[in-house]
Amino acid sequence: MDGDENAFSELIQDYIVESLPLAEQVGDAFIELERRWREGDAGDDLLAPVKGRLHTVKGNSAMMGLPPMQTVAHALEDVCALLDAEPALRHDEAAALLISGSGLLIDLIRTAAEGPDSKAATQFAKRVRAFLSGGRARKVASKRPGLLLERRRSERRSPEVGPEAADSSASVVRVDFRRLDTMLEVLGEGMIEQEAVAELYRKLARKVRASDELADLDRALLALRKTLKRLEGILMETRLLPISSVFGRFPRLVRDLAQAEKKSVRVVTSGGEIPLDKAVLDRIGEPLIHLLTNAVVHGIETPEERARSHKPAEGTIDLRAASESGRAVIRLSDDGRGLDGARILAKAKALGIEADAEDPEQLHSLIFLPGFSTAEAVSPLAGRGVGLDVVAQTIRELGGTIEVDSRPGRGVSFTINLPLTLAILRSLIVEVDRERYAVPISHIAATVRVEPDSIHQVNQKGVALWRGDLIHVSDAGALLGTGATANGSRRFYVVIGLGQRKRGILVDRLIGHQDIVVKSLDATVGRPDVVSGTTILGDGRVACILDAVRILDQRVSA
Amino acid sequence: MPNTFLVIDDSKLHQKMYRLVFAQGALAGSTIYLASDGREGYALLAAHPELALVFLDLNMPEMNGLELLERRKTEKLHLHIPIVLVTTEGTPEDEARGRAAGAWEYLHKPFKPADVQRVIERALQHTASRSA
Repeated sequence: MDGDENAFSELIQDYIVESLPLAEQVGDAFIELERRWREGDAGDDLLAPVKGRLHTVKGNSAMMGLPPMQTVAHALEDVCALLDAEPALRHDEAAALLISGSGLLIDLIRTAAEGPDSKAATQFAKRVRAFLSGGRARKVASKRPGLLLERRRSERRSPEVGPEAADSSASVVRVDFRRLDTMLEVLGEGMIEQEAVAELYRKLARKVRASDELADLDRALLALRKTLKRLEGILMETRLLPISSVFGRFPRLVRDLAQAEKKSVRVVTSGGEIPLDKAVLDRIGEPLIHLLTNAVVHGIETPEERARSHKPAEGTIDLRAASESGRAVIRLSDDGRGLDGARILAKAKALGIEADAEDPEQLHSLIFLPGFSTAEAVSPLAGRGVGLDVVAQTIRELGGTIEVDSRPGRGVSFTINLPLTLAILRSLIVEVDRERYAVPISHIAATVRVEPDSIHQVNQKGVALWRGDLIHVSDAGALLGTGATANGSRRFYVVIGLGQRKRGILVDRLIGHQDIVVKSLDATVGRPDVVSGTTILGDGRVACILDAVRILDQRVSA
Repeated sequence: MPNTFLVIDDSKLHQKMYRLVFAQGALAGSTIYLASDGREGYALLAAHPELALVFLDLNMPEMNGLELLERRKTEKLHLHIPIVLVTTEGTPEDEARGRAAGAWEYLHKPFKPADVQRVIERALQHTASRSA
C-alpha cells in the first residue's frame, strides 16, 4: 500500500455498492417519517431499521477510512437516538435535519471514489450538535443531560438482540431473494461435499503410490471446485431487483427540486415491483432523474400560472412501470405545460434540420437529437450540460427505446421500453496507461503485485514464477498495441488462465470488480485483436473488454 | 505461514477486505472459506476441523455471532479452533459475554491488516502452545 493510503482503498467500488442503497433507504425513510409526523403518526416502525442501516454505513466508512461519511452517519444515529427517547421532538425541524443529513450522506457515498468533502460533513455535525443540545434543553428538569449518552450505551450493550439484528434479516433484498438464497445454500452444501472428497483424496494420495488415475482425480476435483465457484459467482451476481430500488430516491429529489423552484410537485409511482436486471437498474437512474428534473423545472408551471389555467396548484408527476411481453415499460408523465412546438420548429430550422410542423410525433422526437435544448435560461438544477440526447443514448445502449408524447397545456409523457435482462459479465477493471479495461473474472486465476526482480527476462520474454509454475508475463500496452512502458513501472499483473494455460499481463492499477454490460464492437471499427467488446463503466467511461482466449493464443512478446 | 481460515460476515465488502489481508505477505497462499451468515458459517466450521482460526462478525442475519458461539459450546464442535469475534462498538460487557460463550479474542472495527495479522500470529502461537 502507498504510504498512509487506507489498506482497503481498492475496494471503494464495493463500498459504494454496499453502502449507497443503505443510505438511500435511510433517506426514503426520513421523507416518509416527515409525512407521518405531520399526520400525527410517531413512525416507530420506521425509526428502528434506520438505526441499523446507519450503524452499518458508519462501520463500513470507518473501515474504508472515510471520516466524513462516518461523521454524518454517526450524527444521524445521534439524532435518531434522541428522537427515540423524545417523541415530542418528532416534528418538521427534526425531519428537515434528518433529510438534509441523509442527502449529504448519499452524495458523499456516491462520490466516495473522488475523495469526499469533509467540510460539509463537519458543518452537518455542528448542526446536529446544536439540535441535540437544544433538544436536551427542552427536556423536563428531572432528566439529566447525560441521558442520551447512557441510552446509546445501553443500546450497545445488547446489539445482537437490538433493532439492528432484526433489521438486517428483514431487508427487502433478502425477502425477494429467498429462492436464490436457497439455491446458494444447496450450492454451499455441494461445496462442502466437494471439500470432503478433496480431503479424502489428500489422505489417499499419502497412502498409495502416484498414478495416472490419482492425477486425474486431482484434476477432476479441481475442475469441479472451479465449476462450483463459477456457479456461485453466477448465482450471486445474476439477480433481478425491483425497480423500486431506483424509484425510491425520487420523492426526495423532486421534493428538493420543487422547493428550490418554488413549485409544488407530487410524485406518484406505481409498478415498483417490476423486476429489472441490476445492470439496467444501475444505469436507468440517471436518465430518469434527468427527465424528472426537466419535468419539475420546465414542465410544471408555477402555482400562479397553474391557477390561471384552472389546474390544481400542485403539479403531479406520474411514474409507472409495467411489464409488457418480456420487456419493462416505464412511463413518466407530468401535467405541466407540454412541449413548445413552435420553439422546437425554430430550433430545428436554426440547426438546419428538416421538420414537419404538421407531424407532432416527428417534431417532438427531435428533442432527442444532440444539441437540442429548448430551455431559454439554463437553470442551475436542470442545466447540467447534458441534453435529452444523452438520455436517449443511455437508453439505446441498454437495448431500449424512448418515445415522447406531448399535449399543449396538458403535459408531457415519456415512454421508455427496456429489456428485462442483459448480458452482464463480472469483471475486474484494470488501468493501463490511464485507460480502463475490463477482464472477465471467469478467466482470472489471480492478481499479483509486482515485487522487485520477480519478473525475469528469458529470451527477451518476461517470465515469472507463480505458484510453482513459470508463466509468461507480457506488458498490456504491448498486447494492445499502445506501446510497452519502460521496464518495471507497472505495479501488478493479472494471471489469466484457461485450463492449464496461464499468462500474466502487466497493468498499472487494479480498480475493482464490477458487473459490466457487454456491447459488441462494430465490425467496421478497427480494434486490437485482444479486445472482444466494450462496456460503459459506472462512472460513464468507456472501457474495452480484454479477450482472455485471444491473449492466451497470442504469440508471446515482451 | 499460509493457513486455512474461515470468515463469517454478512457484508460482502468485509469479506473482500479479509481476502485482501489474507493475500498479503506471509499469509499469501492461505485458504479462506467465506460464509455470509451464522448458519452457513457453522456448517463450514463443522466441515473443516483443520481451520487455524475463525473470524466471526457479531451482527448477522440467520444466526448471529453469539448464537453461533453458544451452539458450538453446547455441541462441543471443534473447540480447539480459536474464534475471533469482530464488533463495531463493543463494550466490556459485550466482551465478557462473548468470552463466556467461547470467543478466544476480540477484534474491533475499524481494523487494519496489521491487526488481523497480529491476531493470527497470536492464535497460531496459542494453538502451538496448547498442543505442545
